[in-house]
Formats: sequence, structure tokens, C-alpha cells
Amino acid sequence: MSFLYPLGLLGLIGIPILILVYIIKTKYTEQTIASTYLWRLSEKFLKRKNPISRLAGIISLILQILAVTVISLAIAHPILTVPAGADEYCFILDGSGSMNMAESDGTRFEIAKNRINEVIDSSGNGSLYTLIYVGDTTLTVYEKSDDPELCKLLLSELQPSYSSPDISEAMAMAQRLFSANPGAELLIFTDTDYLSHQNVKIVNVSSEVKNYSISDMSYTYSGNDLTVTGNVISHKGDAVLNIGLYLSGYTSPVSSVAVTTAEGEHTPFTVTAKTAGFSSVRCAIEESDSLAEDNEYVIFNVQKNEMFKTLIVSDNPFFLKSSISSAVSADIDTVPASEYTGTAGYGLYVFDSFVPDSLPTDGTVWLVNVDGSVSGSGFSVQREISFETSAVLERSSSTSSVARALLKDTLGDQIHVTEYIKCAPYRNFTTLYSYNSNPIIFAGVNANGNRQVVFGFDLHKSNIAVLYDYPVLIRNLVDYSFPEIVDRTDFVSGDRAEINVIANCDSIRVDSPLGNVSYLDTTGAFATLPLDEVGTYRITMTVAGSPRIFNVFSAMQPEESVPSPISESADVIGDAADLGIDGIRDLLTAAIIALAVLFSADWMVYCYEKYQLR
Amino acid sequence: MSYFVINEELLSQIEMLETLIRNNVAGMFGGNHRSRNFGSSCEFADYRDYADGDDTSKIDWNAYARFEKLYLKLYLDERQMHTRIYIDASRSMEHGDAAKAEQSIRIAALIAYLSVAEMDKVSVYVIKEGAAIPVVSNIVGKESYLASIGALNDVVFDGDSRISDAILPSTVGYGDGMSVIISDFLTDNDYENALNHLAAKRRDIFCIQVLSREELNPLTRGKVHLFDSESEGREYRRHVDREIAEAYKKALAYLTGKLRDMCQARGGEYVLVSAEDSISDVFFDKMIGTGVVK
Repeated sequence: MSFLYPLGLLGLIGIPILILVYIIKTKYTEQTIASTYLWRLSEKFLKRKNPISRLAGIISLILQILAVTVISLAIAHPILTVPAGADEYCFILDGSGSMNMAESDGTRFEIAKNRINEVIDSSGNGSLYTLIYVGDTTLTVYEKSDDPELCKLLLSELQPSYSSPDISEAMAMAQRLFSANPGAELLIFTDTDYLSHQNVKIVNVSSEVKNYSISDMSYTYSGNDLTVTGNVISHKGDAVLNIGLYLSGYTSPVSSVAVTTAEGEHTPFTVTAKTAGFSSVRCAIEESDSLAEDNEYVIFNVQKNEMFKTLIVSDNPFFLKSSISSAVSADIDTVPASEYTGTAGYGLYVFDSFVPDSLPTDGTVWLVNVDGSVSGSGFSVQREISFETSAVLERSSSTSSVARALLKDTLGDQIHVTEYIKCAPYRNFTTLYSYNSNPIIFAGVNANGNRQVVFGFDLHKSNIAVLYDYPVLIRNLVDYSFPEIVDRTDFVSGDRAEINVIANCDSIRVDSPLGNVSYLDTTGAFATLPLDEVGTYRITMTVAGSPRIFNVFSAMQPEESVPSPISESADVIGDAADLGIDGIRDLLTAAIIALAVLFSADWMVYCYEKYQLR
Repeated sequence: MSYFVINEELLSQIEMLETLIRNNVAGMFGGNHRSRNFGSSCEFADYRDYADGDDTSKIDWNAYARFEKLYLKLYLDERQMHTRIYIDASRSMEHGDAAKAEQSIRIAALIAYLSVAEMDKVSVYVIKEGAAIPVVSNIVGKESYLASIGALNDVVFDGDSRISDAILPSTVGYGDGMSVIISDFLTDNDYENALNHLAAKRRDIFCIQVLSREELNPLTRGKVHLFDSESEGREYRRHVDREIAEAYKKALAYLTGKLRDMCQARGGEYVLVSAEDSISDVFFDKMIGTGVVK
């Protein structure tokens, strides 16, 4: 037996104190009576007392000593160790998307949690529990915990994911635990049938339920004709499925189609409608099944603003204006350098061979052939370097997202320059072209938080205009300067959507399908949104105080729509042993009960002596 | 310490009780007066075997002729009796509220009155230490009784009392009446020899044991150290519980039973009286009820 709080045994000091008090307090009442004859005579009529009855006079003291002892023990919180009275359990809880499927008595995930609770409840005191949750990530919820209530509490807070996780990491953890204790019981609570499972007990919580899913949806829109195509699958038996087409603003389908599908086969469908416009298109299987999340598919119509306001500050703006115009349908204003006074209201400012006093605060900035440092630009201009013939700029081999986006589709043509301006960036820029490690064309974010592209040479003193890569590069730079918030709106759960962060973006708020709210980082050019849930994510990007709202849809992973998935193996290597671990018995309750009994007995003795005899 | 036990109220009460028995019953102690002793009156009582030295004039020759054996005819003796009352005047009788002492005096006065009413002679003694000290001697008649019985108020209850030591050397008479001993009999001292002596003297023995309510039904519980009022050396220290209380009751039953047996074995009577009983209760319940008064 051990004690959680051994200092509680200091309470035993109370025993000698109690005895001392008893001795001091025990005083015979002196009394003079007429004659003691009868009392003395009564001695002859006393029965011979047994040793126990001799204790009757001090039974109250004995009870009180026992009470003090038990109180001390209770404070010390005794724990009795029972050899091999408990077991070690390792639960692996499948949190995949298919665990959301509804069975007759709840979702599979809820059933699995109940089964784990049953195992915990039936285990011996002192058992150790390890719970590994395999969802979006593999998470060890608790490891070797001996507190069943805490384990059940933490278990109750778990929710299934919508991903298709890999249990290999969890099995590695289980292997480590099993190697340390071959007596440990490993249990996987899942809906997957494992073809082999050595040293692991599979608790399959699935049953034969029907489920349909829709996938691979896309649409074409021409004139007023909308054509939507996709696939449906019946995962259990053949079925005739009605697929409704819902457009934004409609609560009932604008069109529908019946599809006959065989079990497990991808059956294509096409549904059409006439509409003057829409912001989203949704197809849904009308039949109910065990998993609702995979019965619909949504695509949002991202209408790109093709008009970009641009200001070119240059004494010779023709070349740049034509370059930008060829890349994008832009509304371009030009102004001579001498007349520029810090105008605002443009999405893109191009300063050609001109050094502004200050950078604009509301748009992307291109600095072309700047021969002086600009406050807030993030780099300083050192000097101009000329070549007698020409120099070839070195194309960046960076794999950063910015470099990849800006050099996308370029062939790597050699850019020759006869002179360039040596710049020294002190902010974090992405170099696209350089010479002798000096950045010549580079992009990044300036001190105002705006995107900025720098050409460190005069475009007219290079061959860039005749290169194939030039219009591609300009197109990439224009895309970079007028970023779309998202490239596409249909994803699959587990994907990561890249959000283009617009200049002067104040915040990006994301409302998930389950109602979770999060905010994305706005300091970079791109923000990454992990799509862990199934449904529509609402993205609110606030730019200069004005909110811009976009939606993306995250569909269920196709493999998670299968009601009875099969996997190859969940093996743990080693020889299992019938080993128990030391169990524990918490004696606190017993001590409290004993204390109550002792107090009751002492009280009865007191009443007996005080009242009954008189 | 003087008591005011003998007062007009008590005396009138006693007189009334005496009147009641005179009008309704035959009388007390055999009336006026057939003693239990055989004497020389004309009334035949019994036969007994002849022994050497017996008066040959009392041999029943008719019986001899019939049985060829000498029998002596016995006749009841008829004479004035002498009632001797002994009051235990030890401290145990007076301890506490003196209820036992007062009850003893009341009972002595009652018995004395009943005796004088029968024209018997009455003497009252107090037993102090080892002596029987006369308080009232040889009173005859009610006038004499009323004149002298008040002396009982002045009896001092103190010290020890040794009944045998007091009675044995004293004059107790022979076959001439009743000897009444009033005591709590809660003593280690001997009193059996006194009873034997009285029986040998053909006295009618009447023991009246007076005990207080606490002595009859003690309420003492818990840890007690009891001291004897008569002797500091006699003490009792115990944790009195139910077992001891039961043992006490057994001891009390043993003592009273022993005393009763002693008296009855010697042709005497015994009554147990509570110190808190009224004199009429004592008279009717104890004396008439037990047949002491007929």
C-alpha cells in the first residue's frame, strides 16, 4: 500500500494526544454515600468478564483512536497496489470522413467512442490508457494515463474529421508501445476491414448501410446555357438517383435528372438549365443515405474584374502601356514625370525612370529604371553600371511560390542589358533575375504593404522587348499586381487553398462549414487556407475597410464515401504476452466509510452510556 | 441533631391506625396477651416429651395410660409482654437527607404505640457503636408513652453500630415479647449472633430494614469513587455500567433474602421499608400486608 499524500500520516500524532487527553480527562466522580456495603457486595455477583468486555470501559477511546487513525489514512489517501490487477490499453480511433456515417444508434464515431468507454469501464483500476486519434493529423490524445475519467472526458471532445488519414503513424506509435509492453492490448476502433491485423484487435463499428456520392462536377456556361456534368456512385446496391441542379438564389432545383447507377460504378450525369447568370451552381442527390456530406457538390462562379486601373508615370509611356495592354484589358492613364503629384485611386502605379517623393499607398507599384532611392521602397540605389557590350541576366532558380508564380510559363530566354542600376534590397524581396548576385528584376512588398515590382534597368536598353518571355513575364507580373483571391473554388477536403492577399488587405476572415471562424495571415503575398471540413468556406477579405466576400467549396474525399472500406494490414510485430500491470485500489472511499462507521459507533456508545443505562 | 419526627400529627396518625386495627382485627401480637411461650395458664396448648427435671405435676397420665410414654401438657402463658425496640443509630442511617433515620423513628414510635395500646411494656434503645443505649424505658400505658416518646427526636445518628455487640450483653428478657431491630443492615458487622441470642431468649424477632430510594434503585453510573459515610477506609471505585448495576441488584436481593431467611429461621418476621414510604404505607403494606400485625 502506498499513499498519495504521506504527510497526512502526521495526523497519527493525534493518537498520543488523544490518549493524554483521555488520561487527564478520566476522573472518577467522588461521592460519599450512606454505605458502600452493597456496592462492595455486588463485586461477588459480577460475572467473570472476558477480555473483550474489559475493553468496554475504554471502547469509546478505542473508537476515537481508530477514527483518528482512519482520518490520517484518509488524508494520506491510501492506494493499494494489486499485482497484475490491471492492463495497458492502446486505443486507435479512426477519425476519417467515413466515420461520420450514421448507423442505427448514432454515427460510427460516436459508436466507437462508446466502445472505448465500455473498455475503460470494464478495465481494472490502475490500468493505463493511450488514445491515438487519426484524423486530420495523428494525435496522441493521452498516453499511459491512469485516470479513466479524464480519458473519457478528453475522448468526448473528439470529433471526426473529413479527411482520409493514414494510420501508419498511429501504428508506429502502437508498435513502440507494444514493444515496451507485450501485454498491452491494442485496439483499433474503425469502420475499415483490415485483411490482416497481427497483435491488434479490430473493433469494426460499421454495418451495411447505403451511401451515394457525387463527384467530379464541372460546368460550362455559354450564352444563357448552363451545362453541368459530374459522376454519381451508389456504394451499396444499384440505385436510381435523382440529381437536382440548384443555382444561387433558388431553394428548389431549377433542373433535375434521374440516373440509374450500378453499385460501385462511376455513372456520369449531365444536367442543363438556362440562366442569365449565377454566382454558384450546386448539384445534390435527392435520396437520403447514411452520409449527407457527399451528396452535393458546389462550384462558385468567380467573375474576374477584367478592368484594372493603371497609372504610368513616364515621359515615354508608350512601350509600357502597350505591354500592359497586351496582357490585360486595363484602363491605363499616363502622366509625364514632371506632372506627377502623388495621385491616388489606381490599382497599379508604374514609375518609369522617375523617382517619386513617396510611394502610393493604395496599389501595386512598378519601379522601372529608378535611378534613386525611394522612401519605403525597401531597397536603396547604389549606382548605375554600364557594359561595353551587354550582360546576360541570370534567371532565378528559386522554388518559392512568388518566384514560381512570376516566372510561370517563361522559357528562360536570355535577357541582355547594356547597363543596370545596382540596388541593395533591405526588405524581403524575391529575385527573378540578377547579375553577379545583384537583383535586377525583383518583387515583394514595400513598406506600405503594397506589392512592388522593380526593374533595375531601362527596358529600352535591353533585348527584353523582343523576347518570347517578355509578354509572359508581363502577364505574370500583371496577375501578381492584380491578384485574384482564389484560383478556383472547388476543392476536396484535405486540400489547401491558396488565397492571394490583396494589397492593403486589412484582414481575411474565414467561416468554415461547421461555423468555426479563423483569420489568415495577411503579411505575405499568399495565405494558405487548410480545408479540413466539408462544405462551403466563406472568405471575407477586408481591403481598405471594404469587405470582399468569396466562397470555396470543399467536397468529401471520394474514398471516404465508401461505407465498408477495406485496408490491407494493421500489424504490430512481436509476440503478445499475457502480462498485467500493477493495478491500484483507491482506499479513500473505504476509509471514509470506515470513518462514518466509527463515528456512528462512537455516537451509539455515547448515547448508550449517557441515556440508555440511566 | 434533633428531629421533629415525633409530633402531634404523627401521634394522631398512629392513634388512628391503632383504632383501625382494634375495631377490625383481633389485635396485635396475639392480643392481651398470648405469648408464643408456654406457661401456666389454663388454656391447653400442646404436648411434649417428658424430660428429667420437668414438673411432674404437668405429666398427662391419661396419655401415659394410652401410650405408655410420658408426655408433658403444655399451657399458654399469659402475662404482660415487654416490647424492646432497637434503633440502629449509625451514621449511615442519617446520611444525606436523614430519611432513613426519620423513618426509623417513625416506625419505632408506631410499634411502641401499638404495644402500649395492648398494655405491654415498651423500651426503646439506640445502638451506637457496641452499646444498646435506652432512650425510653419500661413505659406502660398511653400517657406514659406520650410523655416519653418524644425523646426519640433527640436520638443522634453518628458513628458505627455493632448490633451483636450491643444486644448480646444487654438485658433482652426471656420469652416475654418482641424484639424489634430497625436498621439498614448495611454493615460488615455481625448481627446474626444477636438474632440467635434473641431467639435463644425466646424473644419474638422482628427485623425492619430501612433503605433509601437510592439504595433500593441506585442511579449512579459512570466512573465513581464512593466513600462510606461510616468509615473512610471503606470505599468503592468503579466504572459503574449496566453489569455492575445488575450485580448491585443481585447483592441487594441477596442481602434482603438472607435477612428474611435469618428471621424466619428463628421464627421471626422481616420487612423491607423504603425511607420514603409514608407511615400509613408502612403500617398497611408492610406490617398488615406481611402479617406482622394481625
